[in-house]
Amino acid sequence: MTELAEGPTQVGVRRSLAYWNQELQRIHSPILRYGFSVVSVAVALGVAFALQHYQFRDVELPVLTVAIAFTTWYAGAGPSVLAVLLSAACFDYFFIEPLYSFDISVRDLPYFLIFVAWAAIVASFSAVRRRIEDNLRQARDSLQVEVEQRRHREEEIRKLNQELGKRAVELEATNKELESFAYSVSHDLRAPLRHMVGYSELLQRQASSSLDEKSQRFIQTILNSAKRMGNLIDDLLAFSRIGRAETKKTKVDLKQLVDEVVAEIRPDTKGRDIAWKIGALPVCYGDRSMLRLVVVNLVSNAVKFTRMREPAEIEIGCDDRNEEEVEVFVRDNGAGFDMQYVNKLFGVFQRLHLPEQFEGTGIGLATVQRIVHRHGGQVRGEAAVDQGATFYFSLPKLQYAGERTANAP
Amino acid sequence: MTILGRILIVEDDPNDVELTLTALADYNLANEVVVTRDGQQALDYLYCRGEFSTRATGNPAVMLLDLKLPKIGGLEVLQQIKSDESLKMIPVVVLTSSNEEKDMMRSYKLGVNAYVVKPVDFHEFVNAVKELGVFWAVINEPPPGSVQK
Repeated sequence: MTELAEGPTQVGVRRSLAYWNQELQRIHSPILRYGFSVVSVAVALGVAFALQHYQFRDVELPVLTVAIAFTTWYAGAGPSVLAVLLSAACFDYFFIEPLYSFDISVRDLPYFLIFVAWAAIVASFSAVRRRIEDNLRQARDSLQVEVEQRRHREEEIRKLNQELGKRAVELEATNKELESFAYSVSHDLRAPLRHMVGYSELLQRQASSSLDEKSQRFIQTILNSAKRMGNLIDDLLAFSRIGRAETKKTKVDLKQLVDEVVAEIRPDTKGRDIAWKIGALPVCYGDRSMLRLVVVNLVSNAVKFTRMREPAEIEIGCDDRNEEEVEVFVRDNGAGFDMQYVNKLFGVFQRLHLPEQFEGTGIGLATVQRIVHRHGGQVRGEAAVDQGATFYFSLPKLQYAGERTANAP
Repeated sequence: MTILGRILIVEDDPNDVELTLTALADYNLANEVVVTRDGQQALDYLYCRGEFSTRATGNPAVMLLDLKLPKIGGLEVLQQIKSDESLKMIPVVVLTSSNEEKDMMRSYKLGVNAYVVKPVDFHEFVNAVKELGVFWAVINEPPPGSVQK
């Protein structure tokens, strides 16, 4: 408001004065600072002599004090002490009887001492002020640096966010592509397979009497391979669907789920001697149909790989790991595997056994891993050849906080 | 097998057509089958226009519709049929390679009467086509007056 009241020139003058004031206070070279001290005392002396020439009396004391104050203000404590000493010397030499000598008469001694004390007080007050100002300036400078750094960080964050946004768009595009790829596989890849199977069977039907045993076996191999490829495609599509499907999470009673799955698989194990051992299992939080797939895969694997054991032992239980997670295991005494290949266990279409030994496409454990990962859990397997295998998967426990809010009235 | 409605097959793949016809012939269902090879032709047949302008009137007892077709796709054909007063009563069975959930949902929303995924195994395929033929062309009672036998 005051600036508006003043003209533009006054504002300019005020600003440039403030600028020079600041610049002078910033001088750090000792030569300049002590030089300032000497020059200001000399100027004060000159002014005092000039005033004396025009018949002014007793002006030397205030003029020298002003010089000391200026020195302290602009040049700091050391130069101000020098200014005090110089002023005292000049005062004594030029203005105290006897003139032009450093002797002081006893009469003038208190007068002189008062001047020195007064000059020292001005100097020390100014020095304190200067120190405080210095501290303030330092604080302001470091604050400026911090503000600058923060601005930099914010800029960086903004850039990263932009990058992230771009990635998200790319990811979405890739996902779309993947989806249309899966769609096209499911439509277009199955048709020729169906034709291979269809025409092979028609051939088998029409020419079975005229074909020798070897040719019949060839046709049968074509049929089996085409069917196997059909199964692989179906499994792969189902696997890719798990990655894209939304999870609908609810409370899932794992004990109930496991009992259900085992009851479903039992009829297929007629004639086999399997000792089932199902321990206590917790209630957890997840997508029921997906978790069911996990249990089905692990349990049917256990059944499959214990085929040659009499009796087979399959144990399902859990370890209470910590506050947040629970680890469920499925243990069998079946064929097991060599821990050397444990890193291949959960790969898509990875198999550790020959197809003649154990059938399967090699997608089961990959599916298990994908589902468990989507639930924020981990999977692992432990085994030894012919000593059985144990598969573990961890799941987040039922979230107590979430449950409380859900039950709140 | 005396009362037999006409079956309209919409299928672009000649192999699939042959296999479907073979399956129907196995069960003596092939005598009244019309094959169209794309969506446009199928609609021409239903509306008695173009090459079918001289055909005997009446709707087929059932339509076996593939989804991936040249020109006009299966879903679009389905949509046109189900939004036309004179055609919406025709039972439409989608018979396709894919079990994509998206297609299934869309088909049911459009009012499809059945959705069948062609099995890779030929025996199962023959069975599926037979069941469809027997059910829709023989067992099922078509809406009165719409089908000319």
